[in-house]
Amino acid sequence: MSGNLEQPDLSRSPVGPGAEGSPVVDRDGGDFAGPGRTLRADALRRLRKNKLAVAGLVWIIIIILIAITADLWAPRWLGDPIEIDSATVSERTLLSPSVEHPFGTDKLGRDIASRVIYGARVSLIVGIVAVFIMVVIGLIMGAIAAYYGGIWDSLIMRTADVFFAFPYILFAIALIAVLGKGFQNVFIAIGILGWPSIARVFRSSIMSVKSNEYVDAARAMGASTRRILLRHIMPNSVAPIIVYATMSVGGAILTEAALSFLGMGVQPPSPSWGLMLSEARSFMFTAPWLMIYPGIAILTTVLAFVLLGDGLRDALDVKLKE
Amino acid sequence: MPPLLEVDDLHMHFFTRDGVVKAVDGVSFTLESGKTLGVVGESGSGKSVTALSIMRLVPEPPGKVVSGDIRFKGESVLSMSDKDQRKLRGNRIAMIFQDPMTSLNPVHRIGKQIAEPLRLHKNMSRKEAWAAAVELLAQVGIPQAEERARNYPHEFSGGMRQRAMIAMALACGPDILIADEPTTALDVTIQAQILELVQEIQQRTESAIILITHDLGVVADMADHILVMYGGKAVEFGVADEIFYHSLHPYTWGLLESLPRHDVDDKGALCPIKGQPPSLISLPPGCSFHPRCAYAQPICSTEVPPLVEVERGHYSSCHFAGDPDFVAQFVAHSCYVGGPREADG
Repeated sequence: MSGNLEQPDLSRSPVGPGAEGSPVVDRDGGDFAGPGRTLRADALRRLRKNKLAVAGLVWIIIIILIAITADLWAPRWLGDPIEIDSATVSERTLLSPSVEHPFGTDKLGRDIASRVIYGARVSLIVGIVAVFIMVVIGLIMGAIAAYYGGIWDSLIMRTADVFFAFPYILFAIALIAVLGKGFQNVFIAIGILGWPSIARVFRSSIMSVKSNEYVDAARAMGASTRRILLRHIMPNSVAPIIVYATMSVGGAILTEAALSFLGMGVQPPSPSWGLMLSEARSFMFTAPWLMIYPGIAILTTVLAFVLLGDGLRDALDVKLKE
Repeated sequence: MPPLLEVDDLHMHFFTRDGVVKAVDGVSFTLESGKTLGVVGESGSGKSVTALSIMRLVPEPPGKVVSGDIRFKGESVLSMSDKDQRKLRGNRIAMIFQDPMTSLNPVHRIGKQIAEPLRLHKNMSRKEAWAAAVELLAQVGIPQAEERARNYPHEFSGGMRQRAMIAMALACGPDILIADEPTTALDVTIQAQILELVQEIQQRTESAIILITHDLGVVADMADHILVMYGGKAVEFGVADEIFYHSLHPYTWGLLESLPRHDVDDKGALCPIKGQPPSLISLPPGCSFHPRCAYAQPICSTEVPPLVEVERGHYSSCHFAGDPDFVAQFVAHSCYVGGPREADG
């Protein structure tokens, strides 16, 4: 398990509707595509056609629902994910999957299914909060760099280069060593480390949008810099950010798993997929279910975010418009 | 009372890595309200940069006004604060851009975009501005304006988009409308419609128009005055009829000759001005047109001809513009007899 997925392939990133070379058929006169068909509705329609992306979205929604409602049913049906029942621990340790424990139990007699379900909370919170942090920092930095240019651009982009120069996981470990181990510090670290990519993507997206004539037109209209950035440039440059952020959630989940696996992330006895994998190492051959189920959870969740991101990329790209 | 707009010996240079690009290098003109000024010249002659300078839309850096001044109603635009400039832009001076396909923001509804200058300058509420935008759309000849205002730009055709752009520019009732090649991206029939619309609006609103184009045919109908630009300089300025029928500069002669003609049956070759426009980084010494000029004399390659008032209200920057015999050499609509000298490099 490595952190390589943090940097999804961006070569096919949409430039955003700003770069519209006018794929639109010229229709003069009365008939047209119908009023009120917004760009957002268009994108949603295209997204719905992409089966893999829809599957990803459905899976993400299922996981979110499971994570939110876990308290209501998981402990009762499957057993507590954290507490160890010392009276029965000896007879419940390392049970293979059964009706009572669908994913089996671990060394301490805890139900794996229950732990995987609670692990989803950790992963989703880390993924979403970390990405939120990196998007906020990245958007501000990228916008300043692109719009003001000059010294600001150099300053911000060179700082970003410094971040890129370090091996990602190593930097994350170093940061956590400074901040201290723990749940919050995981997403703070991932957020702080992730902003340069967002800033870069957003910067290049703004640059390409900025050269559009409608930005000049907005200035010619007397709009202020702030207004131009927020009303005219932002809406046209966020498409790649939406895509990138979606994929980054998957990346952040992986990083959390990696950090927890290395003992730098979520601490036991909290259930975290990475931590569960780490604990399962010693039972890899004797009790493979310890490893398989958290592994599948990581795989499917990360994959779901990447597939959704991929689908969004195609959906938001006006150039692919049929 | 000061004239509506005065451009006084404007020098707008771009400081790039390759050198100083003298995009506008000495342009002067005045514009009275209700009049139309046509600015003509080849690509790269500095027409658009002149317009953008008036709007203060040239990015600085790399651009910089080295000298000269632009005065709106006697007040220098160059020394205004950012805020005051913004109050002018879109409000008193508005601009129509060349390509209607790219000059509307794809994510906002047409009506919202037309309403924006009204919201910015006239303090209108969202509702008032929207109603005004619908009204404007109807005025520029968009049928079913109410529904159409709710459309996005991709649902409009090229001609309709340019109409929407015009509506946007007109929203605040500007004193000056700058149209930078407003019809270049449109096909000929739509071109005529758009130009008619602009003229009609001018008659109604009495605003002054600066019409930038490389097509003399376009300005012929519309312009009161014409400014001919070459290599960043004004080479001829005068009343439209004078420029067309009594031009005093060989470059203008070349432009006139290169117009395709409809009144000749045999499909003869066009008469282009031979050679390329000069690089604005290293202009030829002397008159920058001399390498392409069929009538060039030794003095042309050594001395820069100043723009002088040869006849009342008719300026030319040719060394020989004052010589009636020289001017008589030009017989309109005939290709150069000897052909121009080959341009160096």
